[in-house]
Amino acid sequence: MRIDRTHRSWFIASVTILIIATVAYIPYALFYPGGPRGNSLPGLAYGVVGYGMMLFAGLLGARKKVPIWRIGRAQTWMRGHLWLGALSLPMILFHAAFAARGPLTMVMTVLLYAVVLSGITGAAIQHFVPRRMFLTAPQETIYEEIPNVRDQLLAEASAIVDKLCAEPQAAALAASSLETGRTTVAVVEEADEILLSDEERANVRRVYVDEILPFLRNPDRRDSPLSVSVEAQRFFEALRRQSPPAVHESLRDLESICSEERQLSRQRRVYFLLHGWLLVHVPLSITLLVLGGIHALVAIRY
Amino acid sequence: MKTIELTIDDKPVVVEAGTSVFDAARMNGIAIPVLCHAQNERPVGVCRVCTVDCGDKVLQASCVRPAENGMKVFTKSDKVRKHRRMILELLMSDHPSPCARQRVSGDCELETQAAAEGIVTPRFSKRISPRGQDDSSLVISVDHEACILCDRCIRGCDEIRQNNVLGRRGKGYNAGISFDLNRPMGNSSCVSCGECMVSCPTGALTNKSVIHTVLPGGDPVGVEELKQLPFFQKISGTFLELNKNAVIKRHFKPGEIICREGDYGSTAFYILEGKVDIFLSSMSKDKAGTASGPGFIEKLTSVFSPRKKSTGVRNADGTIPMDAVIDLTLDNPVAELHEGDIFGEMTCMSLYPRSATVRAKTDCVMLEMLRNVLDVIQRNKTLRAELEKNYRKRALEDHLRTVPLFSTLTPEFIDMLAHKVELVRYSKGEVLCRQGEAALNFFLVRIGFVKMVEEHPGGDLVLAYQGKGGYIGDIGLMKRGTYAFTVTALDNVEVVRIGAEEFREMVAQFPVIAWSLNASANKREEHNKRHSSAVAAISLDSFLKQGLMEANSLLVIDLEKCTRCDACVRACSDAHDGVTRLIREGLRFDKYLVPTSCRHCRDPLCMIGCPVGSIRRRNSLETVIEDWCVGCGLCARNCPFGNITMTELPNTGTQKAVVTKRKATSCDLCADLPEPSCVYACPHDAAKRVEPNQFFKIMLAPSTTDDTFVTPGSVEGGRR
Repeated sequence: MRIDRTHRSWFIASVTILIIATVAYIPYALFYPGGPRGNSLPGLAYGVVGYGMMLFAGLLGARKKVPIWRIGRAQTWMRGHLWLGALSLPMILFHAAFAARGPLTMVMTVLLYAVVLSGITGAAIQHFVPRRMFLTAPQETIYEEIPNVRDQLLAEASAIVDKLCAEPQAAALAASSLETGRTTVAVVEEADEILLSDEERANVRRVYVDEILPFLRNPDRRDSPLSVSVEAQRFFEALRRQSPPAVHESLRDLESICSEERQLSRQRRVYFLLHGWLLVHVPLSITLLVLGGIHALVAIRY
Repeated sequence: MKTIELTIDDKPVVVEAGTSVFDAARMNGIAIPVLCHAQNERPVGVCRVCTVDCGDKVLQASCVRPAENGMKVFTKSDKVRKHRRMILELLMSDHPSPCARQRVSGDCELETQAAAEGIVTPRFSKRISPRGQDDSSLVISVDHEACILCDRCIRGCDEIRQNNVLGRRGKGYNAGISFDLNRPMGNSSCVSCGECMVSCPTGALTNKSVIHTVLPGGDPVGVEELKQLPFFQKISGTFLELNKNAVIKRHFKPGEIICREGDYGSTAFYILEGKVDIFLSSMSKDKAGTASGPGFIEKLTSVFSPRKKSTGVRNADGTIPMDAVIDLTLDNPVAELHEGDIFGEMTCMSLYPRSATVRAKTDCVMLEMLRNVLDVIQRNKTLRAELEKNYRKRALEDHLRTVPLFSTLTPEFIDMLAHKVELVRYSKGEVLCRQGEAALNFFLVRIGFVKMVEEHPGGDLVLAYQGKGGYIGDIGLMKRGTYAFTVTALDNVEVVRIGAEEFREMVAQFPVIAWSLNASANKREEHNKRHSSAVAAISLDSFLKQGLMEANSLLVIDLEKCTRCDACVRACSDAHDGVTRLIREGLRFDKYLVPTSCRHCRDPLCMIGCPVGSIRRRNSLETVIEDWCVGCGLCARNCPFGNITMTELPNTGTQKAVVTKRKATSCDLCADLPEPSCVYACPHDAAKRVEPNQFFKIMLAPSTTDDTFVTPGSVEGGRR
């Protein structure tokens, strides 16, 4: 989610709540008999409010599981998650009076910092990275479709090379199967214009098998010259210099296929960045909520 | 167009060159019996029942014989009647009389014509080898015994519906119709659209079950009752039987509103009894819709702030306020209709919102029918010509009365103008006027969109586009004498064309219009100059090429906010029994992805030709596909954006509709929910349903805030 002008009201409300909480904390911290602590009335109030904010933030995951339930727009829940989740940190710190007096509370404090920090990181990622994806992967597709698209690109590249490297008769037959009402001689004459000599055919096939095909089969590998756009450009320029002009268009098609493969690889990496941080944030948050609940029960009971 | 003169049954007639003898007779009220020719199909001259004497060596099949200048045609001479009788008798000898159609609806065309010729029992013996029946289809019963090999079903399937399932098999006595490569109908690629059955003149193809159309609010009407009415006489009884409840009878009390101007709809009305008044209650200016609702904090804080005063729809004095120099009154009907009149067909035909409000003046009984029924009625060319004539007259008058530019014209001048102007239709790509040509006409856009392009040596520049309510030709007529740009239709366009002479008379008599047009022409020229030097024309061109201006409600995803979490797709799927109507893939416009999801177009091509009238609009913007869809796939093929998907649906056993292999599905804007689920479920504020003309206004005209040349949209926020 981009943090933009539309968050202004949430920002103002959060800052207001923070200011009020801080203003209320100062005299409590300075003048409360016995000093500020978690089990004092104000301390409990801060704790309940802070835990309530964390709970609401944690419910976002559940909200996403029921997308069509009319319990508030997902956008509202997300904004609440961001701002109330961030506010929960000072609330809990005020509750604990900036101290951790036991192993459980120590762990919880560390977890709280980790969750908020990972959350802020995630918010930053989701603020900046979508635009990056938009700019660097204009041909992006649905993530789950990437393997299918890759299969199609591979098939397309193979078809281009097969056509380039086909024997004259085979090419004519292939072309004539698509044309009706044309003589085979005319087709063969036309086909001869795009065919290579035996040596050139062998060269194209060798380059395809040795360099292009391995890359297309495993586009995420970094050791191929085709995995970097500048080097790929040089590679194809060199190939074009070695090849007759008639095949340059086919080589450009192969080049654009490789370019699309690189974009898909880029898309995968960016996608992992966009969603991978949740692998840290979500387990930590669940742990924190569970421990918070245990802490509350233990504190009430004992 | 060149005309020719001939006589038919000693009656002199004048027709356009190229007209067939059959059509020449039909247009002049002379009916020639026929079996293999349906007016909406290409004539093939197979049955020879329409034989006439044209003075040639042999009798000719009138449906395929072109009329010639000076021809003398006799359709009822003894020779012709003798031949026609023989043909009918031969056909009847191979026909199981009474066939299924004759038994059910009494309108087998062969048996009706044979009876008219007095043929009771043919003299010739019946064939020995049976041709058989085919009951494999769930919807249509095939009786090869009753088939007269007229090929109407083949032409219906191949040329009208383009399903290409039906064909001919065999030769001579073994000839017959076949499905795919002579498979049983139920095992073929037949999509059960029913077109073959509608086309069949006999009981060879009849319906086995009804489509279970559910048109609410009225009583079902029997086939026998419908066949008494002139509009329905030529419609196949088996079609009417199949589409029971696609025509219902409704009763209205005096004062009751039958349909409201601006509402969407997909039905036409035929008045059986009573009178109705027609009102025009608003000018041709799109209404501003509601923006998306306030957020959480805004709702919270709005408790403390005074609410904004909402603009009312109506003034206290009963007038309708609008952005014009006058207000129109509700109590001033512009027309009255009576028994036997039809209305609402404009909405049915053009698929645009109702153009007028209709209110019952007396107790009324009328028939309400779906578009597929009106489509079949219109196959009768004579009836279609009459409907077209009424449509043009009414459309013309409505439009002239509601254009703000003409608000100062007197009713008398509008009536005079209505007789002199033309309603002209252009298909996509047709040119209305060319840059540099003498300005001879003023165009008012009634339906559709047009593109205004300035031609330059280095390449053409798209300056703007105009939709409903826009006009072209003012600069040419008022200032330059020639058109300033080339105007091309972007889709099916209808314009009111006013000739230069009438235009000049109008501006001379009504100086306010001249002043208004001069001011608008000056602004437009200034805009064009600025736009010519701006690079932003690329955006407009892309906008038009993607057809975005056609959308009433466009789903866009801001790719700078979207985290590709697919919450929108999951929500759509959850809201529609696991079948998503949204695919998060499509073209891009600027930073927005335009996913594959119904755009609820102004000109919904998907609705054209639905054999059962199931894809339609009810009273609101949303395109809905009703339960009785038969899964023929025509709407999916018609949609230029690929937004309709054919989905295999399981037969739960509780479906009221005919069991089919698949059904069409598309976005219905979650009509039964306050907000589309995809937008509701997006956590990142990336998915929006917008009215694209408004939403992209700034981007398309960066050098001006003037919205004169980008037609204001009808809906803000995507929902009316």
